[in-house]
Amino acid sequence: MFKRLIEESTEKSPWLFHINAGSCNGCDIELVSILTPRYDAERLGFKLAGSPRHADIVVVTGPVTKQSLPRVLRTIAQVPEPRCIVTMGSCPQSGNVFRGSYSIAGPLSKYVPVDVDVAGCAPKPEAIIDGLALAAKMLREKRGQKK
Amino acid sequence: MTVVIDALMYLGYVLIFPGFLFCFLAGMLLCGIDRKLVAKMQKRVGPPVLQPFYDFFKLCGKETIVPDAAEGICFMFAPLLGLAALVVIQLFIPVFGFTAISGMADIVVILYLLLIPAVSIILGGAASGSPYAGVGLSREMVTIISCELPLVLVLLAVAKTVGDAMGTGLCFSLRGIAEYQAANGSLICRISMLPAAAAMLLIIPGETGNHPFDAAEAETEICEGLLAEYSGAPLAVFKLSHAVKMLTLTSLFAALFLGGLGTGMVVLDALLLFVICAVLTALTISFVHAVTARLKIEQIFKYYWTVVTLLAAVSLVLAWYGL
Repeated sequence: MFKRLIEESTEKSPWLFHINAGSCNGCDIELVSILTPRYDAERLGFKLAGSPRHADIVVVTGPVTKQSLPRVLRTIAQVPEPRCIVTMGSCPQSGNVFRGSYSIAGPLSKYVPVDVDVAGCAPKPEAIIDGLALAAKMLREKRGQKK
Repeated sequence: MTVVIDALMYLGYVLIFPGFLFCFLAGMLLCGIDRKLVAKMQKRVGPPVLQPFYDFFKLCGKETIVPDAAEGICFMFAPLLGLAALVVIQLFIPVFGFTAISGMADIVVILYLLLIPAVSIILGGAASGSPYAGVGLSREMVTIISCELPLVLVLLAVAKTVGDAMGTGLCFSLRGIAEYQAANGSLICRISMLPAAAAMLLIIPGETGNHPFDAAEAETEICEGLLAEYSGAPLAVFKLSHAVKMLTLTSLFAALFLGGLGTGMVVLDALLLFVICAVLTALTISFVHAVTARLKIEQIFKYYWTVVTLLAAVSLVLAWYGL
């Protein structure tokens, strides 16, 4: 019973940590918009955490520049298991308009297993919430597989 | 035989009624009500009232990482120390007519015990070896010092008022204060106590480290400060202590200023206490959270040592002249 309680809670309380990997700031602002009165993702238990140690879902924005890559990997490694990695916007998936640039190390999926991709430039808040809710479900599955 | 029954009763006190179980349930519910109310005040739907419970159990199921730079034992046990101190305070605070452990505790003990949760979070943060925790640590200490002076003055004012009426000079005993209020009506009805009650209401968000006074845990600025390195179960215990602290301070207010309202039945009294605590939380924590922005640490210090201290001092002077 205790195990089920924890699994249920894992789905209902996903805390986000946001990493900017060279983003143009468009996605960063869009991510904050899901916490505003209009979309209010806190009703699903989402909360922006200040430290990667508190987070369940890591949201990566930006095309993963060569400068930011080691920091991104180090920050993701600091997030305790079970964790989900969500890329936000087209940049971390494909490089978007920055594709082929000398300073880009992405896509992110070359380096870490990405769980959910939310495409768009920038994605709509509805799409972001949908992607994050999917990630929250995956968190529960990951927690279930662990034991 | 009586020894066994006494021992069982004390065990029940510690584990169930004013102790762990009650603290856990009531504290978490208060925290949930607070989050819901803040959301409503910001025109949001807000998380379910049970959200703090989900957060707690989720954190219990997460991996606990102890950083290489951390002092392992101190890092892991500091949260428990703080929680234990809060539960002990809850045993001492009278629920109107009922006190779990009455004879030996007075306000001064509670004053000391109230420091321990803050000290435990400082200990844990210092042991984590994080520079963010270092910044948070110094801010947390300043916040404690800011709140302590007005809190002592408030307690002195209450002790003087009750002591005068009982002819003992200063009455520091919580039972004495509860009995005085049961006989003469709540202290908040006296003019001299009004500024003290206001000061105490202003102290509550500072002591719990809630919104305008949360410079020590500023998550957008210093990565939650002292909690930056905590994850998993120890973090869950810190979150629980924070919730219980809200319960402790609001029920201390109820014991000091709103005594004598009880019905005599413990279950009803406990419910009444919870309702009072919820109202006080809404007033002092949620409302203040919704309408203010975070203060800088020197502003917190200045605010407490001028406005709040002045209120408490006025009350003390009035009490001295027997108003």
